[in-house]
This record gives sequence, C-alpha cells and structure tokens, in this order.
Amino acid sequence: MNAERIYRLLLRAYPPEFRAGYEREMVLLFRDQCQESDVRTLRFWGAVIYDVARSAPALRVEAWRQSTRTMEGIMKLAAMLTVLLGVLNILNAVVEWVAGSKQAVSGAYVLAVALGILASVLLLAAGVAILRGTRGWQAARLALFASLVMIVAARLLFPWMSIFSQLIGIGMPVGLLIALYWPRRASPLGAA
Amino acid sequence: MALSFGAREAAIVTKRHAGRPPEAYLPLPPATFHILLALADGEQHGYAIMKGVTARSEGTVRLGPGTLYGALKRLLETGLVQEGGERADPERGDERRRYYRLTQLGLSVARAEAQRLEAMVRAARRKKLIGVRPA
Repeated sequence: MNAERIYRLLLRAYPPEFRAGYEREMVLLFRDQCQESDVRTLRFWGAVIYDVARSAPALRVEAWRQSTRTMEGIMKLAAMLTVLLGVLNILNAVVEWVAGSKQAVSGAYVLAVALGILASVLLLAAGVAILRGTRGWQAARLALFASLVMIVAARLLFPWMSIFSQLIGIGMPVGLLIALYWPRRASPLGAA
Repeated sequence: MALSFGAREAAIVTKRHAGRPPEAYLPLPPATFHILLALADGEQHGYAIMKGVTARSEGTVRLGPGTLYGALKRLLETGLVQEGGERADPERGDERRRYYRLTQLGLSVARAEAQRLEAMVRAARRKKLIGVRPA
C-alpha cells in the first residue's frame, strides 16, 4: 500500500462535507510533502497522524454543531416537554395531596409533597424560560438547580413519589442542565 | 466563475458574520494568524502557504494538511479569506491548485491582531520581561 492510499484512508477521520470540499487539495499537499520528505520514516508518519488527530476531531465537532444548528429548535421541543412534565408532576402531587389528606399524615409527608409541587412548578418555569430563547437560559438553569434540590429533598423526607416521577424529576433537570451548560464555540476561527 | 463546494458553503456562513468589527475576531489562533500573514504577500495555494508559515516561524510552526485546510475553511466561512480560482503552479506540476487570497476584512483583522500583539510586546518590555539581558 503506498503512502497516498494510507493517507486517503486517514482522511476518512474527517467529516464527509469537509472531505467533499478539501480532500483533493489535501491529497495534493500530501503528495508535495511526500516529494520533500522520506515517507519511510516514523517521524514523517508521526507528523501526519498528529495532524489528523489534531484537526479531524475539531472539524467533526464543528460539523456536528453546524448540523445541530437546530439546537435551539431541539431545546424548544425539550422545553415544551418540560412544561408538560411539570404540569403532570403538579397534578400527580395534588392527587397525592388529596389522597393523603383523607388520613392522618405526618409533617414530613406534608413537607415532602409541598416540595414536590414546588419542584414541579420550578420545572415548568424552567421550560417556559427556555422557550423564551437564550436570554431565558440563565433563569432556566437556576430554576432547574432549585427543582433538582427540592426533588431530592422531597425524596429523602418522604418517599411518596413513584419511580417514574422520580426519574422525571431528577433526570429531566440533569439532562437540561447538561444541554444548557454545553460549551458553545467561543471563536468562529476555532482554536488551531 | 463557478464556486467550489467550500466557497458556496463559506458564502452562506459569511453572511452570518457580516458587519462584525475586526476586533471581534481577536485573539486569533496562532496558525490562523500565520496563514493571514502568508496571504498578506498575495494569492497563494495551500502548499505555498504551508511552506511560507514554516519558513517565517523558522520551523516552530508546521501546518499539516488537516490543520491548514481546517483553518482555511474557517477563514473562508468568516469572510477573512476568499478563493482566487484554480490554476496550475508551473513550479509544482500540471495539477490545478486552488488559490486563496485575503479579503479587506481579513487584512483589517490581521492588522488588528498585529497591533494587539505589538501592544503586548510593549507591555512585556515595560515589565522588563524581554529586551533585558539576564544577569
């Protein structure tokens, strides 16, 4: 297998759109390098692999970000789901409250249900804040943190929630916080 | 003149960056600044840029094809560089090569980055970090 064929294989590490635009130029440049270097040395291939390992992941991430330019659209869908789940959790907590109030209940139970309702309201508020676009993201982060803390506190005080409610109450804020804190590209010119 | 895939994509993205002042692009990644410096001499193809960067940096900066074309793609997208067509380089055979040149914005950004670096060097000199012989 000659050097150019190996290089063409390495180029598969780059995103297809990038290859479509620059593969021919890159191979041409590689050919120029081959003419001026000894392709049988470890040093040559070390530099080639270092270049691919350094640039391909960054370009993959960029391509992924460009393909998810609909990120805000996805966030809006997630926000609508959050609002819906917030409402469902509030209803769930109210039903629990009504059912529980028919019998003698402890203070811990009352507090746990109240925290559950508050956490659901905060989840709903976070959903509404995300729907307002990026300017509402900071408020959404705070609401999600507070909701998470309250759900955990409610769970520790009195285990009244179903497994499903707990999964939503904890999983949803965690997932949304990861999405909201996911780093955005700082410079349009990258870091290379 | 027909635009290549990269140039078409870049033209779409460039619209998004329209109207940004040169300072908004700073600080430039070192490889990017080196490419802009290389293109300040005039239109060049990838290999000429690569050789120019290696020579100017006295071998301390070596751009491989991936790093070079990754940076050029970003520069095209941000409108700092534009394609200048394809033609063969008589010194390097018959293969047609894509040439790149600085735009007016690219030149302004390169100037702004040079001024930023100059100010930093002045500050370092005032602090006697450079320009003083070690005792």
